[in-house]
Amino acid sequence: MPNPANHPPHPPSSLIEDDARPIAHIERKAALLLLTVASLVLAFLGYVMYARGVFESTQQLVLLSDDSEGIMVGMDLTFSGFPIGRVRRIELASDGKARMVIDVPRKDAHWLRTSSIFTMERGMVGDTRIRAFSGILTDPPLPENAERTVLRGDTNAEIPRIVASTRAVLENLENMTGSESSINASLKNLRSVTDKLNGRYGFLTVALGSEDKAQKMILMLDQINGLLLKTDQRIYGPNGVMDGTQASVAQLTGLLKDARASLLKIDGVLAEAQIVATNARMASTDLGALRAEVELSLRKVGQLVDEVNRKWPFARDVEIKLP
Amino acid sequence: MMTTRSPPFIEAWGLAVHRGLASSWHLVHLGALLLVVALSPSTYPRSNRTTISGHIYSNTVGALPWFTAMTALISLVLIRVVVVTAQSYGLSQFALEMVVRVLVLELIPLSAAMFIALRSNLVFNDALNTRFSTRQPSSATGLKVITPTLTDLQCVWVPRVLASSFSVMALATVSSLMALVLAYLSVHGLSPWGLPGYTRTVGHVFDLAVTLGFGLKTLFFSLAVAIVPLAASLEVRDWVTTSTLQPGIVRLFLVLLCIEAASLSVKYI
Repeated sequence: MPNPANHPPHPPSSLIEDDARPIAHIERKAALLLLTVASLVLAFLGYVMYARGVFESTQQLVLLSDDSEGIMVGMDLTFSGFPIGRVRRIELASDGKARMVIDVPRKDAHWLRTSSIFTMERGMVGDTRIRAFSGILTDPPLPENAERTVLRGDTNAEIPRIVASTRAVLENLENMTGSESSINASLKNLRSVTDKLNGRYGFLTVALGSEDKAQKMILMLDQINGLLLKTDQRIYGPNGVMDGTQASVAQLTGLLKDARASLLKIDGVLAEAQIVATNARMASTDLGALRAEVELSLRKVGQLVDEVNRKWPFARDVEIKLP
Repeated sequence: MMTTRSPPFIEAWGLAVHRGLASSWHLVHLGALLLVVALSPSTYPRSNRTTISGHIYSNTVGALPWFTAMTALISLVLIRVVVVTAQSYGLSQFALEMVVRVLVLELIPLSAAMFIALRSNLVFNDALNTRFSTRQPSSATGLKVITPTLTDLQCVWVPRVLASSFSVMALATVSSLMALVLAYLSVHGLSPWGLPGYTRTVGHVFDLAVTLGFGLKTLFFSLAVAIVPLAASLEVRDWVTTSTLQPGIVRLFLVLLCIEAASLSVKYI
């Protein structure tokens, strides 16, 4: 501390008198100024605390993700574009997943249902966004401290794949549009075809390959036309084939009538033949009985001959001697 | 016997470094002295309270309307430029946040500190420098330092330090709130339906670290504006200088720059 004995030669009051003019009720005005500024500071702090959600009653929601990159404390959870929650804490779970603890004000918690889906999107520009989608608002509300897995959509992660695909597409396009490409060859062929179509014999030249062949084709068609004309005259003309055929058909009808009468006669002959056959069958039946009697007589004669042979002097030694 | 002498430019550099260190030590010492006296209840007797009130009132009320009007005008222009540019690039959702961060957190506190420094302190210090005759003997560095007494500290220096500090904080507070209101009106007009979204944006910007940093930065700015010019005015130099700048103005800007750089480093790195 400085020594009080070392006072300056000029008293302090002279300094104040030089600098400040007397103002009425200066202390009251200064106090009012202090109070005004202090109240402004307090009002600002209160507004910031309100904006940070300090005075709101909240419920907790935990979102699980493989990666928490881009997520920051204080980030919003949006539903249909409206912020309904705020990330309060990010922590690493024991299974290696990121746990994002989100405070959802109770007045907005009814937008979250048990069937709600949560997504985390990373765009090309701006922050990562956490969104909630509730398809069925009649489902039961999401319980407190519920844990949900968040679906990730990372635009930046998709870029390398898109670039690779685009490169392949561009290479294909380059191959397709090259001077030796199939498309160019096809276009050349198409051009030659259209030239031929516009040529003298048109489609015939395209179909047959050359104008000579097309010309031959046309000649052949002319010849066929002439042939057809002659044929028509020979077939359908007077004294043509068709007239002869007509007369032949009339003769054939008469022949068929005669054939029918002959067939009726044959039917009568066949009926008589059937009667003859019936008589012959009955005669065959009598012949069977006769035959049985003859066979019986023959068997009796045979037995008689055997009996005579066994009697003397017709008996024979029938013994078989072994050597 | 031969004695070796260093080259003249090395001697000059060494002397300059020595003077700088001595001057910095004097600044720190005086600042600590002023803070201790300012926090001491014996500084605020009935007679001195009137002096302090007078300084606070005259310093703040004299600067507040002009500074607020100037800040409102510049803020309006900046807000409009940022919002229109952001809209043209399809990034309007970031415009408000950027406006709040740039204006309220960075530009307005710095502007308030420099406004008070240029308006009152440097003028006062130049006049004060000629009044004191008690000086310490010249040191080896050629730097003479005026040693204030306790009565000087209590009756002359502390009221001015308090007045300058309070002015900076009052100007920064009022102008920041004005900028917040103007930002809302520029984007949403008089419609109240943008208020929830705007409140959320403000809440997103002013998290605990940022709010604390904002308060501390404004406090350090106010102390720097109040103390650095005073400390410079109590230094009397024996060497000849061609500089026409007020004593302490370069050092004040250097200190403000350091505080701003430290704040930005803590906030964004």
